[in-house]
Amino acid sequence: MKALFQKSPRWVLVVLGLAAFGLLRSPFEDRMRVQLVESNLLLPPPAQDAVQQMSQSALMGTLGGLRTLVSSYLVLEAFGHFSNKEWEDLRRSYAVITSLEPRDENHWRDVVWHLGINATANMQIDESIPEFERKRRFNEYALLAVELAEQGIEQNPESTIIRKQLAEVYREKLRDFCAAARVYEELVDLPGSPQYSDRFVGYFLAKCPGREREAYDHLRKLYYEGEYNHKASLISDIKDLEKKFDILPALRIPDPYPDLPGGAQR
Amino acid sequence: MNEPTTTLQSPAREVPVFSISRVWTLAISTLTQLVRMKTFYFLFAFAVLLLAVGNFNFASSPAQALSTVKKVSFGAMDLFAWLFAIVATALLIPRDIEDRTLYTILSKPVRRIEYLLGKLCGVLIVIGISLSVMFVVCAGMIQWKELGYIADEIGDTTPEQLTEDTRQAILLIQKNGFHPELAIAALASFMKAAVVASVTILLSTFASSSLFTIIVSVLVFLVGHAHTMATNFWLAETDNSIVTQTLLKLFKIIIPNFQIFSFSEGIVQGAAVAPSAIWQMGGLTGAYLVVFMLLSLLTFVDKEF
Repeated sequence: MKALFQKSPRWVLVVLGLAAFGLLRSPFEDRMRVQLVESNLLLPPPAQDAVQQMSQSALMGTLGGLRTLVSSYLVLEAFGHFSNKEWEDLRRSYAVITSLEPRDENHWRDVVWHLGINATANMQIDESIPEFERKRRFNEYALLAVELAEQGIEQNPESTIIRKQLAEVYREKLRDFCAAARVYEELVDLPGSPQYSDRFVGYFLAKCPGREREAYDHLRKLYYEGEYNHKASLISDIKDLEKKFDILPALRIPDPYPDLPGGAQR
Repeated sequence: MNEPTTTLQSPAREVPVFSISRVWTLAISTLTQLVRMKTFYFLFAFAVLLLAVGNFNFASSPAQALSTVKKVSFGAMDLFAWLFAIVATALLIPRDIEDRTLYTILSKPVRRIEYLLGKLCGVLIVIGISLSVMFVVCAGMIQWKELGYIADEIGDTTPEQLTEDTRQAILLIQKNGFHPELAIAALASFMKAAVVASVTILLSTFASSSLFTIIVSVLVFLVGHAHTMATNFWLAETDNSIVTQTLLKLFKIIIPNFQIFSFSEGIVQGAAVAPSAIWQMGGLTGAYLVVFMLLSLLTFVDKEF
């Protein structure tokens, strides 16, 4: 045995040693990797299409365990695209960023904000582009923002900030109040949701055709929950709905219209 | 005439087969050697990077600004740690041969395993000190920024006057701010650097030059990060034949999996880490160190200089 050990080239013994250790550690490492990915400590490998879009240096960085550094650099690059209103480049940068760090809700929120709010606003005012093209791109960016927000929510199911941004796109850009109400409804039960979410459900249901009665019941319930809910907008919306449904005076809330001098009726 | 009788003198005292104090002495001398090579100067580069990132004003919210500072600084810590582990370890043995220090050391009752262990421990001590300093600087920076952002949110209002939305914003800032668990992220970087150093020591016992050791170690490190990605790619893009599978298995068992040591990224992003995971990763790091030291000894034990 000793003679065999002395006669064998050392590199052969080293390779055998490495292989034996590899066979022992591989099952443990595979288990450990699954465990770490499940507990969000380890990021899954970037998607195939993200790898194809990465520059060579970004790919090397990713391989070198520098995903967070590469994504931070790409966020800087994307900020440059935002400053120069290069929306297509910004979209490409964020496709890589969100693939590298799918669990960072800030990236999803930012891309939804950039495309859904900034790019659409730019399309509303940029007169260097023909009007039909501006309208087309406005819709494209707004719908893309919605799609990205949904992907982000899939990756971060408890995220409030992505939902807040998505609701803003529905509310301000697509004027889809039914969808905005649905997103605020989702927000209500999430930990760390804004206090206004429940009121906003009512406000946007009131603007959603066919769901006004639901809005009235919801807002009324909130009104009777406590004085902290007696906000001007809430009272105003209830008054509008009372008028719309011709509610009996005895059943109406006691407050007058808050937005008119002396609380006069509209 | 009587022949003169020669009697062998026994040594003044027993020389133990293995001595921790000899390893410690070698580790401290390696530390001194690395300090004289002005290795700690890279901490200035880290401080400058941290200051630059801390003062960029591109984030859409204070929470995101804090998250970026954290990610960049911990990413840089990780990068400095593994890069340092490779370069310092690759330089040490050739430097000792060049300076002829190695002959002086090995002519004394010092085992070769003690020499290798001393070198590794010296490198690990320097990495440990560097990571601790970087962590303290980084923690100070994050806390300073966090307090500044919270003060901006609060403004002149008293705690009783704070609205629910301001409280939510403060909570979000705190969520992205400093947490003691970040120390575990620094520990994760240390574990990764330790494994990288042990792989580099093994390579340097074979290699004929530092440059070769550095290049091959960096390659092994990069390939070791692409374990899962490469395996998935090959299985998806090839015919998945027995040859491919055998090659993949060989690749998996020979190259260390560095990707699983990158769990500091998750901690920095706020994921909770179970103590059992730390112990398991610590155990795996220990196993890598023991095995790679023994394999290094295998080639170093009867190497002629």
